[in-house]
Amino acid sequence: MNGTPLLSVESLSVFYGHFRALDAVELSVGAGEIVSIIGANGAGKSSLMKAIVGQADRIEGRICLEGADLADRSTAEIAKAGVALVPEGRRLFSSLTVEENLRIGQEVGREGDIGFDDIYRMFPVLRERRRQLARQLSGGQQQMVAVGRALLANPKLLLCDEISLGLAPVVIGDLYEMLPKIRERGIGILVVEQDISRSLAVADRFYCLLEGRVNLSGRPAETSREIVARHYFGG
Amino acid sequence: MLGGWLNQIVQGVLLGGLYATFAMGLSLSVGIMRFVNIAHGDLIVLVSFLILTLTTTLGLSPLAAVLVTLPITFFGGYLLQRLLLQRVLGKGVLPIILVTFGLSIIVQNGLLGTYGADTRKVAGGSFETATLMLGGGVNVGVLPLTIFLSAIAMVVVLDFVLYRTRLGARIRAVSDDVAAADLIGLPSARIYATAMGIVGVTIAISAGFMSIWTNFDPTSGPSRLLVAFEAVVLGGLGSLWGTLAGGIIIGIAQVVGAQVDAAWQLLAGHLVFLAIFMLRPEGLFPKY
Repeated sequence: MNGTPLLSVESLSVFYGHFRALDAVELSVGAGEIVSIIGANGAGKSSLMKAIVGQADRIEGRICLEGADLADRSTAEIAKAGVALVPEGRRLFSSLTVEENLRIGQEVGREGDIGFDDIYRMFPVLRERRRQLARQLSGGQQQMVAVGRALLANPKLLLCDEISLGLAPVVIGDLYEMLPKIRERGIGILVVEQDISRSLAVADRFYCLLEGRVNLSGRPAETSREIVARHYFGG
Repeated sequence: MLGGWLNQIVQGVLLGGLYATFAMGLSLSVGIMRFVNIAHGDLIVLVSFLILTLTTTLGLSPLAAVLVTLPITFFGGYLLQRLLLQRVLGKGVLPIILVTFGLSIIVQNGLLGTYGADTRKVAGGSFETATLMLGGGVNVGVLPLTIFLSAIAMVVVLDFVLYRTRLGARIRAVSDDVAAADLIGLPSARIYATAMGIVGVTIAISAGFMSIWTNFDPTSGPSRLLVAFEAVVLGGLGSLWGTLAGGIIIGIAQVVGAQVDAAWQLLAGHLVFLAIFMLRPEGLFPKY
């Protein structure tokens, strides 16, 4: 990765009251790169996502998008700057239709070339179900809407927080097959997952979090699974 | 005899239209923003006094006075939400009730200090007394009929705004999951404030009608709140058509109760509310 990274996180600490959820985390994501954050429950993965979108209670350190500090920016401003989140648990607006959910994503984001047709090409079932309420969809279809909603924001950086949670393996496979296609558009992707093998298979680089600290980073192809497992569990 | 009863039921339906206008804003704040504004009735009375002042001091017609108050109440509602109510939303049920209860006391005492305790009414001229004879012993006042048709128009317009516009989708999204809205960058505080601005507009319209049709004084707010609340609960949370139906049911119950005995008017409305509430606690047409 050359020049200014798309996302750079420098000495980031996140606090909830007196509890330090992240401790001096350093990481970066380049444009058109998939970076995976792995770690067990409570490692600080979701705190990292919340901090990037401006929803953490208190942070120290810097989070920069294309070199510009995101400190003191609201979540709405960060979304307009080009950061879109697929939240853990999908968090769709259940009484809105599929199309309304997608349009909300378009409205909170920035101008760009990703439109409804792109999303419907990516997930054809959503075109058929566009008038249905989001709560009437299956879990996998809801996750497609959540990804589509984030993509319609035309992000430079896509944050995927536990997108496999609670889904059938075949659906997870389909969703993960989409990530390289999204990367081809030059979008940087930060994937947070507990499912190590799934997220490492798709990632260009990875960081492993343990108790709020990065204890391992590298390229999946250059790191043995034993080393990853040892750092994941803190052995 | 039959014509007399039919006439009373028609009058009850029309009275229900007035109650529905009281309840429309409350229906939005309860059903969409998920909080009970204890000061809702007092805000209707506050705007009624504003309309009274505009008609008596500036000589405006009631319609012109209402039109003048519409932008004031929109921005008043917007600022009330942004500067006060938003600070306590999402912090449990009690803080928002306490804050709006405090607001209710402030409004009542402010009005008592400014206007005194006398009952007031805005003069509506011939519009107030004009009547249509429909035959069969049924007479319909032009003012109550206008109010009823306006209540229907309010439901149609609000329903359109909520379910056919981008603003409405945003309001419903924030209502569904405010934390998710914040996470993806939807400005929930601004959306809530806009919704409260719309509530302010409904308050101005209901205040305009109330100030011509009935007497009011600085302490009239709680009784308006009670009727509005009953209409919202009867209709079912989130359903504007349900709120209209709830208002009509209470209106009919009150008028029929008054036919039996004048002292039964208010009690009959409350009893019917209680009976339906016991049978269908979720209301008649709940959306949530």
